[in-house]
Amino acid sequence: MKLIKRLGQRDYQIAVISIIVAVVLAYWKPYVLVEGVQRSCLYAAIALPMALILGLVGIINLAHGDFMMLGAYLAYWLNVYTGMDPFLAIIPALVAFFVIGIISYLATIKHVLGEEELIQLLLTFGLAMVLQQIANLLWTSQPRKIILGYVSSSASIGSFSFGTFEFVYVAAAIAMHVGLLLFLKKTRLGQAALAVGQNPRGAKLVGINVDRTYLIVFSISIALVGAIGVLFMTRHSIFPMVGGAFTMKSFCLIAVAGMGNIAGIIWVSLILGISENFVLSFMGYAGWADIIFFALIFLVIIIRSHQRRVR
Amino acid sequence: MRNWRYLVYALAVIVFMTLPFYTGVYLLNVAGYILIFMTLTLTWDMLLRSGQISFGIYGFFGVGAYTAVITFLDAGVYPLFSIFLGGISAGLIALVIGLVVLQLRQLYFAIVTLALGGIFMVVARNIPELTGGPEGRVLPSTIFDGDPTKTYWLILAVAFLTVIISNLFQKSRVHFAVTSIRDDEIVARSSGINVFKYLVFLFSVTSAIQGLAGGVYGHIYGFASPEGSFDLNFVLLPMAMALLGGIYTTLGPVIGAMLLGSISEFLKLLMPYGHLLVYGIIIIVVILFFPRGIVGTLAKRFQKKR
Repeated sequence: MKLIKRLGQRDYQIAVISIIVAVVLAYWKPYVLVEGVQRSCLYAAIALPMALILGLVGIINLAHGDFMMLGAYLAYWLNVYTGMDPFLAIIPALVAFFVIGIISYLATIKHVLGEEELIQLLLTFGLAMVLQQIANLLWTSQPRKIILGYVSSSASIGSFSFGTFEFVYVAAAIAMHVGLLLFLKKTRLGQAALAVGQNPRGAKLVGINVDRTYLIVFSISIALVGAIGVLFMTRHSIFPMVGGAFTMKSFCLIAVAGMGNIAGIIWVSLILGISENFVLSFMGYAGWADIIFFALIFLVIIIRSHQRRVR
Repeated sequence: MRNWRYLVYALAVIVFMTLPFYTGVYLLNVAGYILIFMTLTLTWDMLLRSGQISFGIYGFFGVGAYTAVITFLDAGVYPLFSIFLGGISAGLIALVIGLVVLQLRQLYFAIVTLALGGIFMVVARNIPELTGGPEGRVLPSTIFDGDPTKTYWLILAVAFLTVIISNLFQKSRVHFAVTSIRDDEIVARSSGINVFKYLVFLFSVTSAIQGLAGGVYGHIYGFASPEGSFDLNFVLLPMAMALLGGIYTTLGPVIGAMLLGSISEFLKLLMPYGHLLVYGIIIIVVILFFPRGIVGTLAKRFQKKR
């Protein structure tokens, strides 16, 4: 599996096309572009940890979005009971979800690593249901939201004004992307993780503790997605089922980008986020925005299976 | 041994058929509810035997319910025929999706089907002229004017149909094809089995039955709504039932559905909001500790003794 690749000719073509689309959109519907970029960065930030687990541990975690949901609730209750600012809550969330990641790995994921994919899917689906229902039992299905003053800050260019707070998601996505690349390339643990992802048996032969690497990669990813949940909570209302859609969309991004292509996730999330906002901008058709990711994944499956047949 | 087995079948059929004569309305409703879930459980397991997981049960279930309710209300179709149409429409949608998605298997298939229910829900919400939007559509009266005995027999007929189809599959070449696909697809392919054809066929048939069950459900409870018809319960419960009973058999899902279905009646009273938690836990525990379920574990022990 290749996580880091150099830019090829195709990437430049994609970049040129996206710049043209961006310029057209900036003239026609500037808010679609700005809000689309903010939205897509949220998607990318949620999808990256999932891609890390899928690429290195080899497990598709259907409970991914639900860990994010729990992170959002953690920040919510910290804010309600102690008045803690959500941005400060990122630190306890990272710690708490690292521990939660360790526990879920040791209790469940570890035991199905060698099993067939079918068993793994069933297990993580069960995990997702348990997390959702725990939240439902403890905090009911009523949507919750806190009002923060700085969330509604805005800036304007000419007559066009837009929210600036949501650029937090852009920052988060960039930080996570750069952080992951640095982790995988520069640290010993990251290099070991890459080696394990490429070939677990080979990694074991050269003396890497495969089991511990899996544990750490899984826990780091859960910690990251918990922290993103904290950011998610600042702007969106939360309820126990909120994570499910993000699991699906994250998988869509990973599948469309191709397994193990981290840079591709950013591109695909831009496509998804901007086209969703494009649909949302038409009055009366906004409800259809949630169908786009499905169309995208369907299209890619058709193209992939066609390519396979040609080959 | 063989005759003994048929005797048990015959006895079970008689007991189920005559249930309305010696139980009250409440128990009959519970039995009907369990039988609907037994149908879903069996169909889910039938596809699982080929190594593919469909999380799309709740999607096709809802499609069946909507089709039955809409064709009855808008086209004036006779109720029983509208239920049949519900099954047909779910089967056709599954056929189209299967033709596309089953090219890439397992992971992609599982996740696309998991997204299906949500997608159908979006569609149902956004065509208010047809589906009634977020409120859904309500029938003026339920099927057979709510006669509990007749509705029970209707559910029973669908459940029997499913059991028979499941058993036919187990005895026919479909079973061998499907099992070989699950065990080793490359071997199956090289022995001349058209893997793709079998999978699409199986996916369409099981989804059609799920749509049929949905149509029955829609007519019995007299409504179809986005949240009520595309409910994750309709996939969570059947999965827990099949896993608990033991997958890859006809008997396992049936036993699991009866056991967990009866337990769920108490759980609903005991903890009305979180009873789904139990099913999630059951799924995890069964997979981790006894993946063969009740029937598989017992069968293994029985064989060892012999």
